Amino acid sequence: MLNGFLGILYREFSVYRRKAAKQILASSISPLLYLIAFGYGFGNKVDIGGMSYITFLVPGLIAMASLNQSFSIAQELNITRFYFHIFDIYLTAPVPPVQIVMGEAVYGMFKGFLSAGIIFVLAFIFGVKLIINPMFFPAIIIHTLIFTTLGITVAMLVRDHGDQATVNNFIITPMIFLCGTFFPIDRLPVIMKWLVYFLPLTYSSKVIRATLTGGAVDYNYLLIMSGFAIVFFITSLLAVKRVEG
Amino acid sequence: MEILTASKLIKSYGKKTAVNDVSFTINVGDFIGLLGPNGAGKTTTIKMLTGLAKEDSGKIFYNGINFKSDPIECKRLIGIVPQNSNVDRDLTAYENLYMQAILYSIPVNERKKKINEILDFAGLIEYKDKQVKTFSGGMKRRLTLIRALLHQPKILYLDEPTVGLDPQIRRSMWELILKINQQKSTSILLTTHYIEEAERLCGKVMIINNGKIIIEGSPDELKKGIGHFVLEEFVDDAIKEDFFETKETALNHLKDCVNSCKIREVSLEDVFIKLTGKRINA
Repeated sequence: MLNGFLGILYREFSVYRRKAAKQILASSISPLLYLIAFGYGFGNKVDIGGMSYITFLVPGLIAMASLNQSFSIAQELNITRFYFHIFDIYLTAPVPPVQIVMGEAVYGMFKGFLSAGIIFVLAFIFGVKLIINPMFFPAIIIHTLIFTTLGITVAMLVRDHGDQATVNNFIITPMIFLCGTFFPIDRLPVIMKWLVYFLPLTYSSKVIRATLTGGAVDYNYLLIMSGFAIVFFITSLLAVKRVEG
Repeated sequence: MEILTASKLIKSYGKKTAVNDVSFTINVGDFIGLLGPNGAGKTTTIKMLTGLAKEDSGKIFYNGINFKSDPIECKRLIGIVPQNSNVDRDLTAYENLYMQAILYSIPVNERKKKINEILDFAGLIEYKDKQVKTFSGGMKRRLTLIRALLHQPKILYLDEPTVGLDPQIRRSMWELILKINQQKSTSILLTTHYIEEAERLCGKVMIINNGKIIIEGSPDELKKGIGHFVLEEFVDDAIKEDFFETKETALNHLKDCVNSCKIREVSLEDVFIKLTGKRINA
C-alpha cells in the first residue's frame, strides 16, 4: 500500500548509507566555521537579549543547517531527474505522486534532523548550554518539512542546474542571513523587517531559538510554520503531478 | 486479445508536432517494432504510453482500462527499458532490483527468490553485489532489461535498447530479448532506428516518420510491397534504385546498366526510402 513511499526510502537510504561519513563531515564544516568565527570571535563579548551571542547563535545555526540539508533534496532530485533519470523510475511505477512526495520529504527531513544533531554535538563541545523545551521536536519537524517540500517543489519546477542555483542565490541565501539566524530581526530596517515576515525561516528561527534558550514559545508562529508546511506540501504534490505525464 | 490500444495520439512541443494522430493495438505475445529515424516520434510515443508525457489528445487503454482514469493499475502491466539506462549507479544490481520489487509491491517473501532468478536469467548473478557504477555498458543494459521484467509485466517497452552498444553485445541483447518474448510471453514494443534489429526481432513493424505511422505490417509483407530485389545503379554521387519481383527480372535489367550496378535483396531501409525519399540513418 505504501510501496512508493517505502521504495523511495529504500533507495535514498541505501545511497545515503554509502555516503554518510562524507556527508556528515561535509555538513559539519560550515556550522563549525560559523561557531569558531562568530562564536569564539565575539561570542562571549556580545550580549543579545540577556544571553551570550554564542548561545543566541547556536539555535540560529540549527535552523540554518537543517534548512540547508532538508532543502538540499532539491539538488539531489535535480541530478536524479536530469542526469541519471532515476526519477523516471518513480514516475513510471504504480505509485501515486503523494507517496513520491512523502518518501522524498521523509528523507529530506532526516537529513535536516541529522544536521541539527551535529550542531548539538558541536555546541556541547563549545560549552554552550541549551535548555531543550519538548516543543523543539515538533518545531524542527515542521521546520524541516517546510524546507524539504519547498526543495521538492523547486526541483520539479526548474529546468536545469542553472535555475536551481538562481533559486539558491535569490531566495535561500538571503533568507539564511536575514531571518533571525545570526542577529535579531528587530535590528533590520523597517521595510526589510516587514519583508522577512513573508519568509518561513523568520518564524522557525524564532520558535527554535525559544525552545532551546528557555524563551516563551509563540504558538501563533508554530501555526504559521504549519501553514507554510501545508502550502509547500501541496505545491510539491502539484509539481510532481505536473512532471508526471 | 488486445493488451494495448492507442488511439489518435497527438503530442506537440511548442510548434513542433512530435506525434501526429498515431493509432495502433498490441495483442498478447506480439513483438512489434516502431522503426524510424531520430526525431521521428518514437520516444515521445513511448513516453505517452508509460506516463512520462501527457498526450495533447487521444486515448490509451491497457487491457481495456483507460490509462488516464486508472494510471496505477495500468502501470502494473507495463515494463520499460528507457533509451538512457537509468539503473542507479550507486546501488548494487541486487539493490536496484530490490527497489523495483518494493515499488511494484512484490510480496516480501518472494522478492529474494525472484531477484536471484532474474539475475541468473540475464547472466548477472555473480555480479549481484557489485555497485552498478562498476558495470560495463552491456551489463547495465541487461540489468535495465531484467529490472523491467521483475514484476512480470504484460507489455514491455524497449526504447532503443541497443543504441550505443557494440555489435557483439547488441547481438547478445537480441538473444535475451527474444528469450523474454518467447519464454515469458511478454508483448514487446521496440523502438529502433536499426533496420537489422527490427528485421531480426519483430513480427510486425510500424514505420514512423515526422510523427506519423506511414506503414505497418510484417517485415516480409512490407518488403514484398515494393518487390523482392533491388537493382542499385551508382550514378555520380547518387544511387538509383529499381525494385523487381524476381531476381531474373533484375538480372535482365542489369544488362542495360551503363554504370556500376549491384543486385541485392530488399530491406526495410528500402521500404523507408521508397516511402519517404530519405534514409532512416541519414
